[in-house]
Amino acid sequence: MPDAIRRVFARQKWMAIAVATIVLAGILTAVSPVFLTLSNLQSILVQSSVTAIMAIGMTFIILTAGIDISVGAILFFTSALFAQLMIDTESYLIAFSAAMTCATGLGALNGVLVVKFRISPLITTLATYSIYRGAAIHLTGAQNIPVPREMGFLGNGKIFSIPVPILILIAVFVIGVYAFTRTRFGVYTRAIGNSARSATESNLPVNRVTIAVYAASGFVTGIAALILLARVGGLQSGIGIGIEFTVIAAVILGGTKLTGGSGTVTGSVIGAVFLVLIDNGLNLMNASPYIYDIVRGSVLLAAVAVDRISAVRQQKAVEAARAARIQGAAIPG
Amino acid sequence: MMMNRAADTIAATDAKPVLSVRNLSKAFAGKTVVDDVSFDIHPGEVIGLVGENGAGKSTTKNMLCGLLQPSNGEILVEGEVVPHIDGPAHGISAVHQELSLFGSLTVAENMCISDLPGKPARVDWREADRIAREQLEFLGIEIDTQATIESLGSGRQQVVEIAKALLHADRVLILDEPTTSLTAVEREKLFAIIDTLKARGVAIIFISHFMEEIYRVCDKFIVLRDGKQVGGGYLSDVPQRQLEEMMVGRTIEDSKIDLHPPGEVEALRVQGLSAIDFDGIDFTVHKGEILGISGLMGAGRTEIAEAIFGLRAATGDVFVKGEKVSPITVKAMKARGVCYVPEDRRTNGLFLNRPVRENLSAAAILNFVTRSLRGIGFRGEKARASDVVRERDISVPSIENHVSDLSGGNQQKVLLGRWLSMAPEILIFDEPTKGVDIGAKFDIHATIAELARAGRAVVIVSSDLPELLHTTHRLLVMRKGHIVGEFQREAYDSVKIISLAASAGNGSNGNA
Repeated sequence: MPDAIRRVFARQKWMAIAVATIVLAGILTAVSPVFLTLSNLQSILVQSSVTAIMAIGMTFIILTAGIDISVGAILFFTSALFAQLMIDTESYLIAFSAAMTCATGLGALNGVLVVKFRISPLITTLATYSIYRGAAIHLTGAQNIPVPREMGFLGNGKIFSIPVPILILIAVFVIGVYAFTRTRFGVYTRAIGNSARSATESNLPVNRVTIAVYAASGFVTGIAALILLARVGGLQSGIGIGIEFTVIAAVILGGTKLTGGSGTVTGSVIGAVFLVLIDNGLNLMNASPYIYDIVRGSVLLAAVAVDRISAVRQQKAVEAARAARIQGAAIPG
Repeated sequence: MMMNRAADTIAATDAKPVLSVRNLSKAFAGKTVVDDVSFDIHPGEVIGLVGENGAGKSTTKNMLCGLLQPSNGEILVEGEVVPHIDGPAHGISAVHQELSLFGSLTVAENMCISDLPGKPARVDWREADRIAREQLEFLGIEIDTQATIESLGSGRQQVVEIAKALLHADRVLILDEPTTSLTAVEREKLFAIIDTLKARGVAIIFISHFMEEIYRVCDKFIVLRDGKQVGGGYLSDVPQRQLEEMMVGRTIEDSKIDLHPPGEVEALRVQGLSAIDFDGIDFTVHKGEILGISGLMGAGRTEIAEAIFGLRAATGDVFVKGEKVSPITVKAMKARGVCYVPEDRRTNGLFLNRPVRENLSAAAILNFVTRSLRGIGFRGEKARASDVVRERDISVPSIENHVSDLSGGNQQKVLLGRWLSMAPEILIFDEPTKGVDIGAKFDIHATIAELARAGRAVVIVSSDLPELLHTTHRLLVMRKGHIVGEFQREAYDSVKIISLAASAGNGSNGNA
């Protein structure tokens, strides 16, 4: 690989997943004539919108070296609250503002627990996952609740012939990239993931930023919940189950390191699209539905392995360069 | 804008101190760590803060830069009592021993992160880059401000850290062991920077283990021992020996140890050892001999030691007591009585979260226990471990304490105790006294001399040249993976050795 290209790959950590996505799209184009149609591409983006939006929030959490397992439960709780309030009050305003406040609040609660009690985010959010989901089922009495027909606009409507979920995804994406690159919040987030100790010594508001990333993730999960509710047409008990896997996988595939500090919003969105492409391809191949999970898991494993191998190779290149220097400086006697 | 305040005050020389500390104390959970420390520092002055590990230097530093709140006493900035130090606002900043940098962020981002230009919702990165560039230029260093920190070497990282601290320290800069990861050249560069800052009226508090550095850069000194201020004044009035004695609180015997003459019998011979980091290494160590290997960071010293012990792949031959070892593996080396005490004891040597007892017995569990059933039982382990603790003078409440509770010096003694309990015949030490206090350092040197007297062969790899000069019979000098010189103890000449290790030319005539 020429140096210039390698540098682009090193700087733009999402390049790898972008190339993988293009290659996969190329294969699917060759295999199926319907793949490269506007409607199929639109449908792929619509299908990835929910996980992509959540992955944008998750990126910030993972950048701080945290994780939120409970996003699926927040998604479910928010959907349940919204659907229930629509039945009870018939007011979009109340239902909408309550749902968004609640989604943000549940995310923030995760952040507060992580910060105040210094419990590992994995355990904290594993616990709140169970609590949030249980609370939602308690709230709705485990019933399926339909949402009003006009909600469908959010999931299936179009503005200037572009599906609404895609527009929302673009908006969240732009805000996410801006926050990541241009704001203090963004740079603090990356800094904390690099080294919490250094962040404290540099006088950064570590606790506030940590709570804020979980709250922000909760907020975008709320948005995702409303889109999903609109697309499905009502609350179902299966909503959000297992979605945390897809969301976290998208972030990791996108090149964000679980150890924190390094990653991009762009990569996460492409990662989410990539995962839908895989489903799409399997669908075109008429694969058994049981295969899907196996393939998704294998892809994630392969991505992490490739990342490790390239890191090791880079290390070897550095060592080889040093060896060359030493041989060059060989001294007689 | 950065040096204005300081520049104003330098005109009125020794008018009033920029920072005064009065009866400063700090207690954690009832245990007093810093007790009644008082001093003044004037603009353009460099004060050396010295003391053994655990003497309270770091706690004092943390109170001065506002990371800790004093339990008692007061801090005055420009003559005014400041109840709560806010580093940036008062122009005080510290470079901590562990760098407070962010690996995947750029140099510019790192330097400006505490005070980013622009609005919170819109950071002015162009301005940040300009500030960073200007600051680095001011210090006379060329570093790409858009490079990520992890792409820089540790020396350059240190420089970025100092540049970052200086952005907010136009009055007082605190440097905590700033040279530990620097090469000789980078160290000189740092001293030049300190001289520049001094001339500009910045007051500097310099914390270091290296007495040579203290004497090189400081005007005054403060000695802490067990949290108490036991001495202070002008360095020009106090010889180094006296300063060291103040630190340890007892008289140090002449640091040049009396070595027993080495034997004639060959113990370890290395022939044509080569790998990525070194090439064509030949040397022999005799019984009762202490051989030092010196060189700059990256010269390949540690790599050689690891290769001999079988931790690193290499070509060439290693002979133990005249017998060729092949293949070179840790197991084969241990079986022949070779042991290796690694440089980074915390990651490579000790099991920090396990008791002292287990750490001592780990390398030779069968020497420690008596077993009536094959492979089962630990009878006698405690008694043996207690013996070792006594022999090696390890201060620890109980052999069941975790090694992480111990000070650096005692940790090193535990590691030493572990290997010595194997009754080794050849010992390879890598940086045996790195990060340990002076008292423990002398104990370790005495132990090494004792080992040689008892007929063991010892190889010491160290970047601490005075240490090698004091404790070895013979010294090899390495540069870029090659042995470039050999000195006998009678002919030791530190200036010659350093220039040989650091020179860029083809010094093929290092033999003295």
